Amino acid sequence: MPERTLVGQNYTTPDLVAKVTGKAKYAEDYRAEGMLFCKLLLSPMPHARVRRIDSSKALAMKGVVGVLTADDFPPVKPDQSGLKPEQALTNEPVYQGEPILAVAAVDEVTAADAIELIELDLEPLPFAVDPIESLRPEGANARLEGNAYVDRKVATLKWTAEDFREVAAGRLPFGKGADEWKVGDVDAGFKQADVVIDETVVIQSTGHQPLETRTAMAYWQNGKLYLHGSTQSVARTVASVAGWVGVEPSKVVIVSEYTGGGFGSKIPGAHSMAIPALLSKKTGRPVMMRISREEEHFIGRARAGMQARARLGMRKDGRITALDLYIVMDNGPYSAQGDARSSGSIASLAYQPMTMRFRSVAVLTNTPPRTSQRSPGGMQVNAILEPIITKAARKLGLDQVAVRHINAPAGKAPYGPPGQNGKQRYVTSAFVKEALDRGVELFGWDARKGRSGQRRGSKARGIGVAVSPYVGGSIGFDAIMTIRPDGRLYFQSGIGNLGTHSTIDVHRVAAELLGMPWEKCEVIWGDTSKHVPWSCSSAGSQTVHAMTRAAHAGAMDAKRKLQELAAHDLGGKPDDYDVSNERVHRKGNASGGLTFAQAAKRAIELGGKYDGHELPKDINPMTKTSATALAGLGLMGVAKDNYPRDGDTHSYVVGFAEVEVDVETGAYQILDYTAVADCGTVLHPHSLAGQIHGGSVLGMGHAIGQRWTYDQHYGRPLAKRFHHTKPPTILDVPVAMKWDAVNIPDPETPVGARGIGEPPVGAGYGAVLNALVDALGDDAFRRTPVTPDVIVAALDAGKWTHEALTAHV
Amino acid sequence: MAVIRDVMPAFELFQPANVEEALSLLNRYKSDAWVMAGGLDSFDWLKDRIKRPKVVVDLVGVKELEGVRASGDGLEIGAMTTLTDLVRHPLVREKFGMLLEAAEAAASPQIRNQGTIGGNVSQDTRCWYYRDGWECYRAGGNICYADTPTAMNREHAIFDADRCVAVNPSDTAPALIALDAKMVIRSTSGEQIVDAEHYFIGPGIDITRMTVLKPGDLLVAIRIPGTWAGSQFYFEKVRDRKVWDFPLVNVASVMKTSGGTIQDLRLALNGVAAHPVRLRAVEAAVRGKPRNEQTAEMAGLMAIEGAKPLRHNGYKLPLVRNLVKRAIRGVEGSWTS
Amino acid sequence: MDFLKWGRSPWGEDILIRISWDLLYLSAIGGVLFLIGHALYVRFWPQPVPEKGDAATTAALAARIPERVARHSVAARAFHWVMAAAMFVLLFSAFLPIVGVKFAWVTIHWIAGVILTLSIIYHTVHATFWLDFWSIWPEKGDIEDSRRRMLRGVGQSAPAPRKHGKYPLENKLYHLIILITGLAVIGTGVFMMKRVQTPFFTRNPYLFTDQAWGVMYVAHGLAGVGLVALVMAHVYFAIRPEKLWITYSMIFGWIDRGHYLEHHDPQRWNVARPVPPPPPDEDAAKGRRIAV
Repeated sequence: MPERTLVGQNYTTPDLVAKVTGKAKYAEDYRAEGMLFCKLLLSPMPHARVRRIDSSKALAMKGVVGVLTADDFPPVKPDQSGLKPEQALTNEPVYQGEPILAVAAVDEVTAADAIELIELDLEPLPFAVDPIESLRPEGANARLEGNAYVDRKVATLKWTAEDFREVAAGRLPFGKGADEWKVGDVDAGFKQADVVIDETVVIQSTGHQPLETRTAMAYWQNGKLYLHGSTQSVARTVASVAGWVGVEPSKVVIVSEYTGGGFGSKIPGAHSMAIPALLSKKTGRPVMMRISREEEHFIGRARAGMQARARLGMRKDGRITALDLYIVMDNGPYSAQGDARSSGSIASLAYQPMTMRFRSVAVLTNTPPRTSQRSPGGMQVNAILEPIITKAARKLGLDQVAVRHINAPAGKAPYGPPGQNGKQRYVTSAFVKEALDRGVELFGWDARKGRSGQRRGSKARGIGVAVSPYVGGSIGFDAIMTIRPDGRLYFQSGIGNLGTHSTIDVHRVAAELLGMPWEKCEVIWGDTSKHVPWSCSSAGSQTVHAMTRAAHAGAMDAKRKLQELAAHDLGGKPDDYDVSNERVHRKGNASGGLTFAQAAKRAIELGGKYDGHELPKDINPMTKTSATALAGLGLMGVAKDNYPRDGDTHSYVVGFAEVEVDVETGAYQILDYTAVADCGTVLHPHSLAGQIHGGSVLGMGHAIGQRWTYDQHYGRPLAKRFHHTKPPTILDVPVAMKWDAVNIPDPETPVGARGIGEPPVGAGYGAVLNALVDALGDDAFRRTPVTPDVIVAALDAGKWTHEALTAHV
Repeated sequence: MAVIRDVMPAFELFQPANVEEALSLLNRYKSDAWVMAGGLDSFDWLKDRIKRPKVVVDLVGVKELEGVRASGDGLEIGAMTTLTDLVRHPLVREKFGMLLEAAEAAASPQIRNQGTIGGNVSQDTRCWYYRDGWECYRAGGNICYADTPTAMNREHAIFDADRCVAVNPSDTAPALIALDAKMVIRSTSGEQIVDAEHYFIGPGIDITRMTVLKPGDLLVAIRIPGTWAGSQFYFEKVRDRKVWDFPLVNVASVMKTSGGTIQDLRLALNGVAAHPVRLRAVEAAVRGKPRNEQTAEMAGLMAIEGAKPLRHNGYKLPLVRNLVKRAIRGVEGSWTS
Repeated sequence: MDFLKWGRSPWGEDILIRISWDLLYLSAIGGVLFLIGHALYVRFWPQPVPEKGDAATTAALAARIPERVARHSVAARAFHWVMAAAMFVLLFSAFLPIVGVKFAWVTIHWIAGVILTLSIIYHTVHATFWLDFWSIWPEKGDIEDSRRRMLRGVGQSAPAPRKHGKYPLENKLYHLIILITGLAVIGTGVFMMKRVQTPFFTRNPYLFTDQAWGVMYVAHGLAGVGLVALVMAHVYFAIRPEKLWITYSMIFGWIDRGHYLEHHDPQRWNVARPVPPPPPDEDAAKGRRIAV
């Protein structure tokens, strides 16, 4: 292993100063000659069919240039599910707020005034906003094609009146139609248990609501679309925009140097990008579409809420002998979501139950479209199971940490549904026990245990711990880097810059391998016209793992070429040479050989593979195109990540929280929070801290108040803006949160680093919920978020009093 | 007509330099005019195109309405004094600490820098049906969407619902009522002084207004008498978030005790009705009683007499009961670490 | 002037909210104009002289008519005044806030509505089983009488109309129209109580569709403003000097013999005491006559 000169060190990323000084240009900051602004007309109904649109009065207005409707989009056919894929404008809105048309005008006020002049004739169609209501025998279907995904197809699924007697009693019935998998004999597992807990819980849906909404600006030049947008991957957005707009990917340039957060809602890009693109095509002028906070509620994607029932059996020693989990997932109106499936896998990984049965139903609703939100399914299942595990431990008189320890995944831990060979998949590595031990120490768990569940006056204290795994990396992407005659190392980055620093961080691996001082490195990112390689989306916590591997492969390629070039020019075998100190030199003589600048010059002279005129066969076509464009600029390292990997990469965070609840008002404060990550080798500590704390705060926000609310009669949202959806504020989270990482390299990746974006979310969420259980007892709540009203009503009644199964409250 | 939000339409803007000009504008345009103080309530309405006044009278230039002045042994607060300036004023801190607490509990630092005391007490309700443009009673319709078998009404009224179940969201209002503040209202026809308690009106009296202000009227100042200066104050606001949140319920009380006996007090709640509620019956019942748990308990129970919870706001009963209890006896115990 | 007020449903559909309150002013102005017109007519138009009956017959009849002719039972009068009070409370609680007198009117309004409803149910039962049920309903002959009276009223010649039964046609028509408007306000009002908080119902404004509610509110409003004019007319007639005897009867329950003989047809409203046993043939003849 090379000396760690860059990996694991803090530094200032090159995008930082622009961000904190406001100089950074986001999509909304761009202007183009003759640019128009567009505004959207949103469906007032949760489900309807457009009978007629009369835009004549709007078009007659001074300053109005064009109107775009669904009819201007490339035609789409239903996919294998039976549903037509979502498009940015529609003639059959399937949720209130879905865009129906867009008006382009010389300014926004004119566009808005024009929207008010549009006459829209809609035929109301049946709708459902609560999955359970849609499953009633007489319940409405969210889509004309059906109300649920059954065997991956949209079909009508109704439960029986008998099932709904269970609902009336506050329990989720084990209704028909669920996807199911099993590991071991669950009934036998329950027989071994000394305590069994059976709870029905509701986990809220929430909008992603990144600080930057999905604003986009587009114009066409010489038949090519230039789109300034906000995305979680620059490289990957080209193909999706090309598809939505109906052109070849080679005709699309994506510019996105800065993205104000995505949390999964901009993978890759956003459907709505097609609106300014097509309006610009139609009007022949650049079009800016600024998306408001309220519009972001509608089109900005959301996490799938869940109505779930879990039965969990625990042995006296704390080992989970059986887990029977049933989830009804609010799928929103469009494509099938993977949250519930992930919930099953993550539950089996986090707690390694001896036996497990998992069932889930994805029910369609007329609420905003869902997509992965930071730890999709993982976060929800943390919220479902963590309090139950804590309650089982309390019944058995066991310590919360001890119970997590005995059930923690370790090594190549198995997880998820059994494959065709009957065996479960397994992870690359897990060091959760080590993380728990470190956390106990850092948080001072043992000292705090004395306060567990104690009351002074009206203030009750509680502590909680939670274990949260999530996927932590993919493989097989490419890198392009060039050492140029100016003696500098240039990295092409196709990674989206959504605030995680990984856009830049991953290249430090390559710089370190090549012994290049970071000051002499430059990262080119944020613009697909600048020849970027095929990269992963910054989603699913892939980037640090996937792109450090690619960077490693690219650096190794560059190094090999330097060695070969030195051998070619200076004699000997390539292996006789080493790189360090900005030179390629004979081993043991660091001052000899060629400087990188000289090597770069020689590479250009030699051409062929050295300067990118000959490329590896296995790289992605996008990488090939980019590398070809860059060929001849210097010595090129270009390669695909072909490193082996045994197992599926996951990362883990354990979170510890202490809360103080005022039992007279239900108000509470999270006093302290500590998180320890097992994410392999630490790449960039500041950035890692940001991810651990930021992710944990997202989880805390879901525990303490973030939500949306729907009026069930009209199927319209009531909580759309921040003062209603209530994401957490700086005052809602502890002043000083601690963190650490076990920093044990993952054995299945050359750099040892895994991704970390998602695992903290469930840790923050579960730790706070467990601390609340510790402070308030087992019967205070059965739904999230846990707000003061829930607590004060429960304490008054001696038991939770909120509605058991209603969604979107 | 299709609906669009978040784009402010054109309107005529006046920025008078003094009260006389402001009043003459209000008199000229009457109900076509919209009075804007800090704009925190106004901009929502205007941007969402739900309220569409022809004329906006922005008071930002009326400097004579700003500032806190001593007035006898009390205070006079200009209606355009920002909440931040109010909170920072030494006289407020010295004599009426509760008003400081209440003002500081409102919204967020940024909003308090911009929001005024006059705006805070005169703001419209935050019922999310009404604010979203649902044409309910308050908006001139004939229905309350917030009180139906399927309505979402966690934050709505438990008292005095008269068709409309919206609540008054002001944090300073109950404090001003407890302090027996007087609201100074001017119009071109003269000045009138109204007790803070009677400044607020319920939907029964006028379902489209929250205060006695009629078109042409302007709240110019709030006078706080010295009567309760330095007495025992209690203010508490319960909300979902620690900042930038309206109250689920808040409580304000002023009290004078002598040898453990409650000599006199005034007690008000907000977030429970369309107007802040002064608990006169509770005041009468505890006057002369020892200040102890038993009295507090009784006060709490009395406070919720007649409350009518809706589908999702039953929690407000124990919450009001406990808050009133605490207003009488204080908060018990606490942790040091 | 708009007659209806339209609003927008949360789905952006146009829905009927209620009648325009302009109609209230229209109704009130219409009522006032009618009163003025009628007062002027009575004051300045030569009034037809009432037909003098055959003096002998009248005298004979008068002998058998009690000094005070019972017109309204205690129960009927109680109903009338309870209903009247409820109606005034309903009208004032409904319309004063609209004209600018602000007070919390809803509870008062629905309580008065409930009282009105109960009093009407009582009246319906009482009138059906204990009163002369048919006396208040217009009958065929009334139309001809009315035609003749009108012609004579405007100075044309026409055969003398019959005298009234227990109730003049105006009374009957008024009753009929009050009954229709009353049923309309009550029938809609009862459902409208589902839209506000009362001890009787769980509030449910979604009981009917927006459209159905709209129609209901319009019906309630139309009947309501209609009642403004109707009540004005009623009060006006009640205090007109020449009609005061009728008003007194609603207070004291009786009219005097003179008014009875002057205005009522004993054949249509028989209040005569049974005569002392007369000669058989005469008795039969008289009996026949009375029975006709």
